[in-house]
Amino acid sequence: MSVYFPQKWLPYGLLLPQLLVTAVFFLWPAGQAVEQAFYQEDAFGLSRDFVGLDNFIALFQSAEYFAALGTTLVFSVSVAGLGLVLALLLAVMADRVLRAAMVYQTLLIWPYAVAPALAGVLWWVLFDPSIGPLALALQTLGVDWNHYLNGDQAMLLVVIAATWKQISYNFLFFLAGLQAIPRSLIEAAAIDGAGPAKRFFDIVLPLLSPTTFFLLVVNVVYAFFDTFAVIDATTQGGPGQSTTTMVYKVYKDGFVGLDLGSSAAQSVVLMVVVGLMTIIQFRYIERKVQY
Amino acid sequence: MIEHRPGLTFVSHLILWLGIVVVALPVWVALVASTHPANAFAAGAVPLWFGDQALANWQQVLLGKDGDMSQLLRMTLNSLVMALGITFGKIAISLLSAYAIVFFRFPFRGAAFWMIFFTLMLPVEVRIVPTYQVVANLDLLNSYTGLTLPLIASATATFLFRQCFMSIPSELVEAARIDGAGPLRFFCDILLPMSRTQIAALFVILFIYGWNQYLWPLIVTTDDAYYTLVMSIKRLLSVDNGEIEWNQVMVTTLLAMLPPVLVVISMQKLFVKGLVDAEK
Amino acid sequence: MSEVILKQMGKTYPNGHTAVASLDLEIAAGEFIVLVGPSGCGKSTLLRMVAGLESISTGELLIQDERVNDKEPAQRDIAMVFQNYALYPHMSVYDNMAYGLKNRGIAKAQITEQVQAVAKMLELEALLQRKPKQLSGGQRQRVAMGRAMVRDPKVFLFDEPLSNLDAKLRVQMRVEIRALQRKLGTTTLYVTHDQVEAMTLADRLVVLNQGHVEQIGTPMEVYERPASTFVAQFIGSPAMNLIPSKMVDGKPALDVDIPVACPHLLASSVLLGVRPEHVDIVPLSETALQLQVLAIEALGAETLLHGTLEGWGDTAPTFVVRLAGQHQPALGERIGLRVSPEAWHVFDGDTQKRITQCN
Repeated sequence: MSVYFPQKWLPYGLLLPQLLVTAVFFLWPAGQAVEQAFYQEDAFGLSRDFVGLDNFIALFQSAEYFAALGTTLVFSVSVAGLGLVLALLLAVMADRVLRAAMVYQTLLIWPYAVAPALAGVLWWVLFDPSIGPLALALQTLGVDWNHYLNGDQAMLLVVIAATWKQISYNFLFFLAGLQAIPRSLIEAAAIDGAGPAKRFFDIVLPLLSPTTFFLLVVNVVYAFFDTFAVIDATTQGGPGQSTTTMVYKVYKDGFVGLDLGSSAAQSVVLMVVVGLMTIIQFRYIERKVQY
Repeated sequence: MIEHRPGLTFVSHLILWLGIVVVALPVWVALVASTHPANAFAAGAVPLWFGDQALANWQQVLLGKDGDMSQLLRMTLNSLVMALGITFGKIAISLLSAYAIVFFRFPFRGAAFWMIFFTLMLPVEVRIVPTYQVVANLDLLNSYTGLTLPLIASATATFLFRQCFMSIPSELVEAARIDGAGPLRFFCDILLPMSRTQIAALFVILFIYGWNQYLWPLIVTTDDAYYTLVMSIKRLLSVDNGEIEWNQVMVTTLLAMLPPVLVVISMQKLFVKGLVDAEK
Repeated sequence: MSEVILKQMGKTYPNGHTAVASLDLEIAAGEFIVLVGPSGCGKSTLLRMVAGLESISTGELLIQDERVNDKEPAQRDIAMVFQNYALYPHMSVYDNMAYGLKNRGIAKAQITEQVQAVAKMLELEALLQRKPKQLSGGQRQRVAMGRAMVRDPKVFLFDEPLSNLDAKLRVQMRVEIRALQRKLGTTTLYVTHDQVEAMTLADRLVVLNQGHVEQIGTPMEVYERPASTFVAQFIGSPAMNLIPSKMVDGKPALDVDIPVACPHLLASSVLLGVRPEHVDIVPLSETALQLQVLAIEALGAETLLHGTLEGWGDTAPTFVVRLAGQHQPALGERIGLRVSPEAWHVFDGDTQKRITQCN
């Protein structure tokens, strides 16, 4: 663009709504969180004392918080890994049967539209130890499935539900990425004597790596934040702490435990984490979002 | 296809159908469960074929226990208001700010850009408690404003429109200026019509985003006049006596997921475009 | 009366780059002025300054004696045709042409009347309801012109309007633009880098180079008396041959008769120019000017001989001869050349300016 309108005040007016909402509902609460992180407040909000870094120190000395960190890592890595592998498999297959690819796409993308909370409920029912067909099938195979009691199984359940919802998204991007690879490259590799499997690992996968990297970041962000509802609608962080992720803990400590200082400190830690992730994401898309 | 391998093609189709079946399984089971009486589950697993209670169950959810459908209608309406409010709000304020950033030069333009960018780093989940406090202080709990307004700042939409505006050839702007179009007329006559596919694509994505909100309506509403469909599922699941009415849960779940799923399927092209554009 | 007056108009960007140095030009009502030069010479910047799309750094711009430096493009009563047409993609042909009139608050009936009249003139009547996407390149070009014409502005501005068309269409549209402009009698400023377009369209040419005016004149003046080596080589195709020559005993070292009596008083070295079409072939014995033929381009109606002049060793300048009809010299053959004295152009070797007479 080399042509601009000469008005001086109009642009501020145009920006005002966005900036106002941002300031009131984003920056102010974020500032509040930072402030609260340095105070200790009683449960009724009647008094509060400045405690410096105590909240953070308590946080990093708390075994529970490290457990939540571990849970978050296991959860994110599983969701991202499982989601990427399955989606890639499906996308590669769909890319092979080019003519029918659009039909398969339609049949595979709709879970994106299902609310995470509902996705959680759907799988919750499937695996319910008393009525879920899958849980009963597992029991006949000798697996004693009960996600109300078994933390690992509860974790597996939320991973499955969260992955299920994300596969459609990954599938779309993988399929688009695959279809963007020039046919001539694949043909050249075939003439060079590479079979389908070799072609996939030597040509397709490397050419797909930007898509894969991008999806990896998106999936991790998704697993961090958007899966809150999956957990809240199903396990609510339990049994015990086995499915309490860092994001879920912020909510639980703040709203249920009413430990505002600690919740705020956790918010601050998460903001730093998101900031780092955004920077990674931003670096990747830098050339597109250059200011 | 580079070489003819019917076997491999067959396997491809097989894997894809397997994927489709697995993906569809939970919804199938939900559909089936919604057709059985509540006591069918007490005996054991959800049956794998339809029962005869479909009409009764759906009626009960749709019309309510006492025959008036006000509660469900209310929640559907609330979901719709929230989804559309967020969608239109995000699109409107993002169009305006992208327009300001691309077509004007003014002091603090960079600062404004970074402030909008900053919102990317602050998803509502990480600042949930103080955001709740702010909304409570503004007396916006249990209101449509409280449900929508805090969610409508959007860096993604702003960037999308910015990208879209920057691809408009500058000659077009010049032609409009020579034709006597001022900034607002240019915005309405040229920019909006030219961006309509991007707007439509974003509309699809944002509608789904808005409809599927869970945590936010859960904490800012305590009055069931403002409950939304998606969050209502939590109440159905946390009944006090422990006996969850699964058939009702399934009907509600299916109802709550129907609008966005229909939107995705009927507007698949726009949806895909929206997803891809939003990530540029 | 002068319709448009540029008084020492110049453009310097904030980064210090001068796109157009102080330029004076008076354009008569109804005159067709072509700004021509290589890319980056400042011709488009100049046009955009007249349009009001670039600010004017120095000097003044007057349209019908009114200073318009600080006026919005829309208030200058000009119309512009862009290189890529800049048609609004979502509007029909009719709406594209009517948009400027609507914004000026003209009555609907009158808009329809004006658009119809212009559409008729440009044979666009059948296309009025189509979108730009559904038009061919030539049709789009016509719509862009129609949009400019419909407002009946004081000045037409054209920014390389034909460069996106194929060669055949370009010739056709060139003739059409000229005919339309004559008919409408609208003062026109036209930018191009194509010297054929410039020669055929212009009442007067402004040849620009690196932001400076090299020459202003009618096409024939510019062709016959180029003011500098730049103009000499830019106008005319193939370009004018230039032979550098030192002064020895008050005469150019190259032993030819030239139309300037005393160049040594003016310059220490000269460039002798001759157009390829002003060279005759004579037997070798009659001339010292000899060409070794290195390439032949036979075009049917004419033949171009490319080669180097004899007796220059490695530093021999390339030289082109343009002959009517068909000729078949062998490659490597030497042929004798003759140039009549008045066909030589003499340029100062240092300033590159034309030397006309001794003072």
